[in-house]
Amino acid sequence: MAYFKLPSGVRDVLPDECRRLMGVKEKLKERFLQSGFEFVETAGLEYYDAYAGIKSPVAQTRLFKMTDYDGSLIVLRPDMTLACARIAAAKLKSAARLCYFSEVYDFSARGNSQREVEQAGVEIFGERGAFADAYAVAFAADCLRAAGLDNFIVDIGHVGFFKGLLEEVGLDEERREELRLYVNAKDGVNTELLLKKYGSGGRAEEAFLALPSLFGGAEVLDEAEKLTSNAGALAALAHLKKVYGYLKEMGYENVVSFDLGTVKSLSYYSGMVFTGLADGVGAPVLSGGRYDRLAAEFGKDLSAVGFAIGLTRVLSALERKDPVPAVRQAPAVILCKEGGEAQGYRAYLKMLKEGRACTLLTDADAWPADRGGEKYVATAEGVQKC
Amino acid sequence: MLNVALAKGRLAASCADLFIKCGVRAEILREETRKLVLETPDKKFRFFFVKPADVPTYAEYGIADIGIVGKDTLLEAECDLYELLDLKFEKCKLCLAGFPEKRAALSSPRLRVATKYVNTAKKLFFSRGEDVEIIKLNGSIELAPLTGLSDVIFDIVQSGGTLKANGLVVLEEVFDISARLVANKVSLKTKAAEILPLVRAMKQYTAD
Repeated sequence: MAYFKLPSGVRDVLPDECRRLMGVKEKLKERFLQSGFEFVETAGLEYYDAYAGIKSPVAQTRLFKMTDYDGSLIVLRPDMTLACARIAAAKLKSAARLCYFSEVYDFSARGNSQREVEQAGVEIFGERGAFADAYAVAFAADCLRAAGLDNFIVDIGHVGFFKGLLEEVGLDEERREELRLYVNAKDGVNTELLLKKYGSGGRAEEAFLALPSLFGGAEVLDEAEKLTSNAGALAALAHLKKVYGYLKEMGYENVVSFDLGTVKSLSYYSGMVFTGLADGVGAPVLSGGRYDRLAAEFGKDLSAVGFAIGLTRVLSALERKDPVPAVRQAPAVILCKEGGEAQGYRAYLKMLKEGRACTLLTDADAWPADRGGEKYVATAEGVQKC
Repeated sequence: MLNVALAKGRLAASCADLFIKCGVRAEILREETRKLVLETPDKKFRFFFVKPADVPTYAEYGIADIGIVGKDTLLEAECDLYELLDLKFEKCKLCLAGFPEKRAALSSPRLRVATKYVNTAKKLFFSRGEDVEIIKLNGSIELAPLTGLSDVIFDIVQSGGTLKANGLVVLEEVFDISARLVANKVSLKTKAAEILPLVRAMKQYTAD
């Protein structure tokens, strides 16, 4: 096995891309801090039980599992929301606004995803209601814009609508999950087959069949209202209308759309869900929602809403927009000749103090030929520009 | 511009007809050409011709906004896509087939199944809780039971002509297959104004 190669699904980020990545992170960091979020770093290794025992969005097959020296099963951090919920509920024990830059690991990722995913995200603990949801969506849009994207939408759904419809048809747990996957894929053919086979007919079935086409502007909320009389489903729609009302007043109506057929994991999300979609990137750049019951699993009942941005996908959107990488900053270079080291080092410290970038060399070949910058030579006599 | 991935081969002619019926200036699809990328004269559509199994991949990555591909390929590829329409052409069935006397052996342990749909076969037998040995082949699947490589085959059956000529029969019809319209999950939203009218038009022409 070649030791200098990498396993599938992970990669190195080289300086050109890293510069861009750091630029995005700096802008996001500024946004997060300005809005009162506090950074956390969560442990990279966690107990498997934390993801097996509670309502987890992470399937067992997606976890990187290892055995610890005491025999317990541990995993590489698969999800930041669960980690933040654990911190807020078990350690801070209070409402909190947390943010992070972190990698999460997905054992089974393939196709258009990686096994190591770099995310930037925020979690708001302790806030509930339509305005808190509208704020989360607006903040998500602000963050995408701050990262440099201009052609994107935030697509909003609500798991409550689907859950409400489920109450009306008698399906067992397994069929419900199957139905959710079909609806998520807007697969009308299989939705219909499943309902024909296991459903009990009636109005809810028609609503399920309409679900795949219930996406677009806020008018889909009105259309959906006509399809059901289930209290839970109607409450979800009323909530989204309220959220949209706030977003409109806040000036975000042009960056949001609705999709009632986006039904993310039912055991995890409890209300509104949303997804950031950027033109030209084949997969979502942002994913978020409300998970009010999650913190309770870790011992304290805290409502929560948040989102994570996929930084690699944001970068690929930025690269499409502007393929030329940002100009490399070129520090001054001081080449120390024999006997001039002390002079050179003093000049280097002086430049740093003045706030200039500076690099110290003893071998002119140790500096990449294509990287410019002012050049100085340090000898025992002093430092001279050349 | 809407990017469309189409499967090379049998499906291509039916796709050309459908697009033209829906008002797309897709006459170029009917021309004999070795070009891999074709644009309509009004620059509204760009078509790529790829191997059928690659259509879901192009669509999942968003290189193609939409694509047309057989359900058999979709079942096997397991890509994260929207499956918008059953286009109801290129109909066939994904079947278990073999010699008639193998009918009783279908649920026997250590059944040997030859197929090019390895993932689909695995899922099928897993869901039934049956242990089987799946043998991956790339073509002429019917040869496997004839030569004793496998007990049965899992493959698409259109007319059944090849089966019959070799003394094989369909033992079980498992999935109904036909051409499907798929869309990238982001493109459907970001290019809704281009995709949705096309979907509506196609729906009209594919009604039973």
